[in-house]
Parts: sequence; structure tokens; C-alpha cells
Amino acid sequence: MSGFLAPYRVLDLTDERGLLAGQMLAKLGADVIQVEPPEGSSARRVGPFADDAPAGDNSLFWSAYAAGKRGIRLDLASEAGRAKLAELAMTADFLFESGAQPLDLAALRAANPRLITVSITAFGSTGPKAGYAAADLTLWAAGGPLLPSRDGPGAPLAISVPQSWLHAASDAADAAMIAHFARVASGRGQHVEITAQASVAQATLSHILSEPIGHTGFSLGPASGPKPKKKELDLSGSGSRTRRNKWTVRDGLAELNLGPGPAAGRFTNNLMAWMKAEGALSPEFHGWDWITLPPRILSGEISDEALERVREEVATHLAQFSKQELSALAIKHKLLLAPLMTMADLLASEHNAARQNFVTLEEASGARRTVPGSFVKGVPPVALRPAPALGEHDAEILA
Amino acid sequence: MSAPLGWLKVLDLAWVVAGPLVGRSLADYGATVVRVESGKRIETARVMGPFPGGKPDVLRSGLYDNSNAGKLGLALDLASPDGQAVVRDLVGWADVVVESFAPGQMARWGLSYAALSAIKPGLIMLSTSLMGQSGPLSGVAGFGNIGAAMSGFQNIVGWPGAEPVGPFGPYTDYVAPRFSLLALLAALDHRRRTGEGAWLDVSQVEAGLQFLAPQIAETAATGRMAGAMGNRAEAMAPHGVFRAGDGEAGKRRWVALVARDDADWARLAALIGGEAQDAAFATLAGRKAEEDRLEAVVNAWTALLPPVEVEALVQSIGVPCHVVAGSREMLEDSQLVHSGHFQSLPHPLGGVSVFERSRYTLSETPGEVRRPAPVIGGDTDAVLADFLGYTPERIAALRRAGVLE
Repeated sequence: MSGFLAPYRVLDLTDERGLLAGQMLAKLGADVIQVEPPEGSSARRVGPFADDAPAGDNSLFWSAYAAGKRGIRLDLASEAGRAKLAELAMTADFLFESGAQPLDLAALRAANPRLITVSITAFGSTGPKAGYAAADLTLWAAGGPLLPSRDGPGAPLAISVPQSWLHAASDAADAAMIAHFARVASGRGQHVEITAQASVAQATLSHILSEPIGHTGFSLGPASGPKPKKKELDLSGSGSRTRRNKWTVRDGLAELNLGPGPAAGRFTNNLMAWMKAEGALSPEFHGWDWITLPPRILSGEISDEALERVREEVATHLAQFSKQELSALAIKHKLLLAPLMTMADLLASEHNAARQNFVTLEEASGARRTVPGSFVKGVPPVALRPAPALGEHDAEILA
Repeated sequence: MSAPLGWLKVLDLAWVVAGPLVGRSLADYGATVVRVESGKRIETARVMGPFPGGKPDVLRSGLYDNSNAGKLGLALDLASPDGQAVVRDLVGWADVVVESFAPGQMARWGLSYAALSAIKPGLIMLSTSLMGQSGPLSGVAGFGNIGAAMSGFQNIVGWPGAEPVGPFGPYTDYVAPRFSLLALLAALDHRRRTGEGAWLDVSQVEAGLQFLAPQIAETAATGRMAGAMGNRAEAMAPHGVFRAGDGEAGKRRWVALVARDDADWARLAALIGGEAQDAAFATLAGRKAEEDRLEAVVNAWTALLPPVEVEALVQSIGVPCHVVAGSREMLEDSQLVHSGHFQSLPHPLGGVSVFERSRYTLSETPGEVRRPAPVIGGDTDAVLADFLGYTPERIAALRRAGVLE
């Protein structure tokens, strides 16, 4: 046994809404037992799917997020199944669930007062929306990150890989460990609740505080109206204006916020200094200090046309480089510039190889799966188990 | 029960979002967190807003206040030897150091983990950076939008076949704190049992990879690659964002609506009526085959109703639907009102400091924000006197030398 959390046992009764929580503890060494119904977790039917394993063993979602755990089957509709769960809960330190099946958590905690139970919910177990039907996309809408994710009059855009339940599940792992420190002091466990709606609100850069703070018009409003007449400058440095930050380079796209102002201007000055040294910047732009540019733009001293001209020169300059060349140039010239990595780029990346960011695991079906490994360096290594086949550890755990 | 982390002392040298959010969560559960920043080189979050009345004011940024509620504020010139000496004294006081400078910067200031753990055996230092402390690209600088590009997120938000839009803002800044916090808490538990410290290296980009793990596994196993799909999904239809409230001038909104399976769609089709009940739509395959027409049918129905009414009607038949909420909708959201999501405390300079409550609900030891985020250096004298035992003369001398700016 190794890892910071090696002394602890976790019962994981979550489905696709919560698998990540237990896995985060497993990656730090905890003994995590995934409890599935006899027919298998619904997460085994979540894509993407592989072509080289039969249904039930071909979910790459399962391979990715059940890795690190042992797996057992329990029929919680039966008296015997519930009794077995109660028995396992007597020796468990944590229990995670996400509403996949009915559970009497209070009874489990009464029997084992040290147990910490964690429920991952959509909107909460109480309140006006407790009974709301939910999907990842509707939670992304309810918690705020969807609305500002657009760059024109069309509909706002979610990330095409569902994210809401991952935010909730990772919060669940953190909250469980905070409850653990309460237990260290008191000897007692407690119940923890996570709501995905509140969890995804973290992905709004606090834009959702604009109304209670009284900053009218700070965030993109809900109406999909015409283009605002007033000039809008993105001074964040972090590129909230999305598509304007994408540049076509030799073999794909790169991200660079051509931003003025206190946060981004310093880096834009670095870009201009590099272009000037390469003879790629017209003299009319040589004197611009991008840090102090915003008032000159707002006053009209610097025109939209001039800004477009400088954008054109940046576009022409960047277009001659490859994504890999730009990574090195970004470091050399201190630019906030990065290639838009694809999944294939990530798998081929020398940096990811040097950091050992991916591990390849052989599952019971014989299939080999490459997945992200540890999320932190500087901790004792934990050998990641492959995601379990259905009932793979029934004998060793239930015997 | 007392606050779970009431014993924990944190020296918070982090800035912007991904680092400071870790200390925010620790403070919510009782930790004493000293947030160090420069009054000369203003930290980025303070210039980003939102601001009361829309007036930029580095002492009233909503982003800063939300990310730093509950902390004490110490102003310090980290680049000066005297400032670095104060840091070393604070390390002697602290259990944990959190920092998010470019890799190597702490060492250049003489504040490497090796140097600091010599002062405080058992010290836990969390270094959170874009690419990690090692590797050929560890020198890549940037905010979370660069992190989103380097971890694969920028390519998977957009309309099919068009240039990608990318996620809103610095996406990996929102993801990384979850992994940082867990690693830190686990290291603290390990130290409790063994006395051993740790230097934790969390990369925002690597945290982002964890949120794309199935897609990485997909490309490795099949060569296929996830791309931008608008708001559609492979296994559900309709799965989209639709216009609502066309009838109300200037009040057009969006609603997100998803039929998770054929049963969801059957109920929704009955609610919408007309063309929605076309038998061709009865199965997922049928709906995916004519998804443009399907979405047009749904949109024709949602467009004529106020958005809250769409949400209520669709939820009444047990189908996922929600208004695409902005700040105002969230402030008025009945569930967020119920949970007390938006909170405030008096601001040190008058008015209020607004923040979100802890996202975790602990039944016995609930989180609590005990003080608003600090103004720059708001607690400098108290921290130096009470935690380090500096005399008023010593503090005055440091101030005269410009170290406390």
C-alpha cells in the first residue's frame, strides 16, 4: 500500500455522475470499492466506446473514471444485498453516491458513526428545484457557465464533452476530505452534500456576481440583441472574447489574446517587440504601449481600423509557424500564446511524456487503455489499477 | 463541532484564480490564511471585476473578493531581501505554503521548497502552475485560456466545421483548484500520521486532462477524436439550447433542453404536439437522422413562450430543461435563494463585499466566511505583530524601507 490516503477505504455507489470523486481518492492511494448493480453500472453504457471489447467492457468513460478501483456487484433490491452493504460500510471511511439507487445513509452512519457519506446531487436534496430532472447541459445552463460562452448572436455553446458532473464530483472529493479533518478531531463522520448547479458556478470567473455587486452590463447579457455600439474591451488578460483569440497557424490553430490593458498588455508588448525585431511590424505600431492603450482606444485616438491592421500583421506573422514551433517561441519571447492541442497532439506531446501524464492499463478483457494518471507530482507513486470488469473483485471482497 | 481546519495556518502567495481558490476553501472551514500580495504590482484578479457601479477599483473587484473571502491581507515586496526574510518568518509560522508563480521564481527569491522546509520541517508547499514544475514546456506562461488550449478544451467548443470558439474564460483555472485542494488535504493527513512534509506540483493543464480522460482514452484506443458538436450529443436528441421569449420585446432568452431517452421525448412530443408527434422522431436514431428538423420543431414551440414558462412546463413532465442563467437569473433563482448562494459582508471601505458560499454542505461542520476578502495589506500590522511577534519599531522600519508595499 502506498499513497497519502492508503489507510482509507471508500465505498463508491456513484454512477456516471460521480465516478470521478472516488477515483481522485484512489489516485492518492485509497482503497476504493465500486459497487455496481447486478446488471452493471449505467456508466458502462456511456460513450465514447472502443471497438475491441464487447458491450459492457467497451466504455472508455468507464475505463477512464473507474480505473484505480476494485469492483463488486450488489443487488440492493434484495435484503441480502443491503445487509452486505451495511457490513462493508462498517469498515469504510467514506461512501459516495449520486442517486443511482435508494440508500439509507442515516442508518449506515448510525451503525458506523465514523462514516462520512457524500451525496452528489443536481440541485440539492431540499429546495424548490430538488426534484428537477437534470442533464449535464441543463446544469451548465443553471449554474452560469453556458451563457457567456458565445461570441456572436447565436446560441451559447457548451463544451462538447460534458463537464457539469465532473465539477460536482471533484468538489465531492474535496468536501469529503474536509469532513475527514472534522472526524480526526471529533471521531465522528457526517453527511456531505454537493449540488452540481453550485459546483459549475465556479466556471464563470465570478461574472455571476455582477448583479448582486451592481455592475450592470459587465457580463454578456441574456438577450441576443444587436452588436453593442459602445466599445467593449477585454482587459482580463484571459481572453473572454473567444473566437477573436484564435489564429490560423501552419498546422492548426493557436490561442493568443491580443489584449490591451494592465493584465494582457505586458505580453502583447512582448509580441510586438518580437515582431518588430523580425521586421514584421509596421512603423506606425512601434510606439504603442499596449498596457496604457485602453484610454487611447476608448477616446478614438486609436481607430478600429488601426487595430484591425495590427491584427492582420499579427495573423500574417503567426501563420508561418507550426504549433510546436510556437510553443518554443512563446517561452522564448514570453508570449501568452499556445497551440490548440488536439487529443492526438496531447498523446504525442514530449512534455506529457516527460511528465508521465498517461498510463496504459490492461483490463480483464485484455483491452489496453491509455488514460491520464496522477493529477499531482511530488506524492508517493500509486500504481493505477485498470477499471474493473463487472464483478471482478466479488470473490476477494464479498467472500 | 469546531471548524474542521481551525488549527491550520496557511501562507498564501498565490495570485489570480487557480491558486487563491484553494486558500478560499481552507478559510471557509476555519483555516487562518494570510494572503500576501504587492501593492505596487497589482494582482490580475483585482483589475478584472465585476465592480460596484461598474467603476474599476482594485480594492473592490468581485473576482478578487470571491476568490479571497475569509483571508487576512499582507502587503509585501517579495523581490526585496527584507521581504523574503518576512516570508521565511511566516513559513516558520505556517503549516502550508500555496504559491502560483512561474516555475523557478520561488527558487530565484531563495524561497525554494528545500530552503523553506529547512526552516519548517514537515512543511507542505503547493506549487500550482500552468504546465508543472518540470518538463520541456514548464516555461510556458499564461492564464487559464492558454491552459485550455494546452489541455485540449479550445478545440471542443464550437459549431461543427467552423473555427472553434473555445470555453469561456480561463477554463483550467476552474478545474485545477479541485485537484490542488485534494492533494493538499491528503498531504496534511499524511503529515498528521508521519510528520513528513511534501512539495506538491499541480499543473492546470494536467488537471484539465482529467476532465477529458475518456476522450484521451478514445483517441488512444480508436484514433477517433472528439470535436466541437455545437450543443448536440451522440446519445441524446434533442440536446440543445433554444430561443425562448420571442414574444417579449427585448426579453429574448435561451433555454437548455435535453431528452435523455425515448421516454423523455415521448412526453415532450405530447406536450409540444403537432409535428413533434411525427412517428419518425420516436427513436433516438430517427431523431438523430433528422436533427435539424427536430430542433426546428422544438424551437418553434419554445420561441413563443417566456423562458421560465418553458422551464416549468418541461420540468412538469420530468424532462431536463433550464433557463440559460446569467447573473440576474441566478440571483433570482429559487434554488440558489434557498441555499443562500450569494452572500455578503461589510466591506472594509464601506458598502459590501459579495461572494459565493462554500459549494460544500457539511451537516455538522458547515463552512462559514468569517471576514470579507482583505484590501491590499489590510492586516499587515496585525499579522506581523500577532503571528510573528514583530515590535512596532520593527514594523515601522520595514515600512520606511518600502518592504510592506
